Amino acid sequence: MLTKKFRKIEGFSWLGIGAVICFLAWKVHLGSFQEPGPGFVAFVSGLFISIVGLIMVLSQVLSRVSSDDGFDLGLAFRNISWLRLGYTMVLLFGYAVFLNTLGFILTTFLVMWGLLYDRKKNNWALSFLTSAVIIGVSYLVFEVWLRSQLPRGIFPWW
Amino acid sequence: MFHELFYGFSIAFQPVNLLSCFVGVLIGTLVGVLPGIGPVGAMSLLLPVTFGVSPVSAIIMLAGIYYGAMYGGSTTSILVNIPGEAASVVTCLDGYQMALQGRAGPALGIAAFGSFIAGTFGVVGLMFMATPLAEFALKFGPPEYFSLVCLGLSVLIYLTQGSILRGLVMAGLGIFLSLIGQDVIQGTARFTFGFIGLVDGVGLVPLVMGLFGISEILLNLEKLKERIILKTEIKSLLPTREDWRRSAKPIARGTLLGFFLGILPGGGAIISSFVSYALEKKFSRHPEQFGKGAIEGVAGPESANNSASSGAFIPLFSLGIPANVVMALLLGALMIHGLQPGPLILTQHSEIFWGTVASMYVGNVMLLALNLPLIGIWVQILKIPYKTLFPLILLFCLIGVYSVSANVFDIYVMLVFGALGYLFRKLNYEPAPLVLAFVLGPMLEKNLRQALILSDGSITVFLTRPLSAGSLLIALFLLLSAVLPSLQKRRKKVISEE
Repeated sequence: MLTKKFRKIEGFSWLGIGAVICFLAWKVHLGSFQEPGPGFVAFVSGLFISIVGLIMVLSQVLSRVSSDDGFDLGLAFRNISWLRLGYTMVLLFGYAVFLNTLGFILTTFLVMWGLLYDRKKNNWALSFLTSAVIIGVSYLVFEVWLRSQLPRGIFPWW
Repeated sequence: MFHELFYGFSIAFQPVNLLSCFVGVLIGTLVGVLPGIGPVGAMSLLLPVTFGVSPVSAIIMLAGIYYGAMYGGSTTSILVNIPGEAASVVTCLDGYQMALQGRAGPALGIAAFGSFIAGTFGVVGLMFMATPLAEFALKFGPPEYFSLVCLGLSVLIYLTQGSILRGLVMAGLGIFLSLIGQDVIQGTARFTFGFIGLVDGVGLVPLVMGLFGISEILLNLEKLKERIILKTEIKSLLPTREDWRRSAKPIARGTLLGFFLGILPGGGAIISSFVSYALEKKFSRHPEQFGKGAIEGVAGPESANNSASSGAFIPLFSLGIPANVVMALLLGALMIHGLQPGPLILTQHSEIFWGTVASMYVGNVMLLALNLPLIGIWVQILKIPYKTLFPLILLFCLIGVYSVSANVFDIYVMLVFGALGYLFRKLNYEPAPLVLAFVLGPMLEKNLRQALILSDGSITVFLTRPLSAGSLLIALFLLLSAVLPSLQKRRKKVISEE
């Protein structure tokens, strides 16, 4: 029941997304068949997404049996460690936010330390050392060997 | 042709290209061995590294990663029962059973030898087929290219595991995403939503790394499990005479099947390995042994996936149309290096084509030498816990994406697509049609608009030219299977048989 409800919402979502794409395409100029404009293909793709969304909705509304693709929404999201996933994503977004300000070395070190730290084992010293080694090696590979232009941030002498 | 091949070898044997080939196949084997990062992730990761070398060295290395991963993937399938990459899923069925029976050595051996034979045949086929096809493709106009792109997308969606409707939505979304940035014809910026970083469009590398790399890591992080590595002594990697007798025909069939399936747009290594397994089971006098350690179930699919990886280069080099996501990435790499893939590349930049072909011969020999003696090292690498491995993979992703254009915006793009990719995969949406549509989108737009302008707005131009009409008809037939129940049942049967 939950999956069927979700599948209906999913169809409506694509219908809406397609409509938004069509609107955006119309705003940048559609042109004509003789001279298609920059929004022409985007409009077609939006229309296409909307039509598929509509078929999804209709197939759920008209069919009495539940979807037979073996997908179970409840099962797909059961027993997931959201804390771990959220923590990892926050660290990664933090990396993007602070990379230019703090520079490659410090930001990478902090993020690696955070990723390697295991709360259950409380291995802060080991994760600290491992991060330091990773930083050393990656600095040699990317900065010295490959000469990648990595940001130096507030410590320009690094 | 042999003159060109010798020219190719003169390029492939240049020290820098030999090194590129070696690095490519080594990294390819490594990513094939390690579950969690496939050839697509590794290639997008190393794409920025190739900016500093010549285009031919770059393509040699990236191609090496692809066919190297096909070789390496079998090791984890056989020893850990976890496929290193998707094309080796089917190898788990009999390979792991062979390992449980103490025959891990012959399983690994036949996988390596089968891969070598198939890979070499695939390169020969590539050499003979790409040039005539490219000459033929010179007659194509915008309507033909537009229809071929539609066909390629339709085949991929048709063969996608799961719902066709979801595949179609992904393709539509991929096309829209590819249109973000400057208009190919008028040069005006569109759909940038005020972000300066989007004026040049969404980058292929952040998109692919997010959808495949980051989302894969997030999926693995959901439930961290310790890998159980089979404690078996690998006595001899050489298959016995009986093993060879039983494997000879599966290798031959897998090689031919893989090669031709690899050429098809939307086909490729994954599908060919499944079809080969189904075929071997049908041909076998003892189908009941499949799934219980039949060597044919290892030899056929492993040959098929390697042969397919060579075949997939044909549409890329001769038509400029990628057959799968990996080829899409190679197409992106060629374009980043200022080359326009298509039939003219064989004449205007013959060093790229012949250098790559010759390097594939060399690479196949390198892989045979790498795979057999280094299996012990690969097994040791497999013992690294995922908790230690994933921060390193993430670091490579972050640095890889940043170094493409030294822009933090690309990291945000990668992370957003990583989160989206995770959700898509949880909700049974496959990211492959999105990526292929993203790569083919500009080609589709350019050819559609050019065809309409040239025909003064008449859409019949797509139906009056035989190749264009034929391609569109096949595409339509495949997509109709989404709405016609009888055809839908047949499709499900085909996929379940695979």
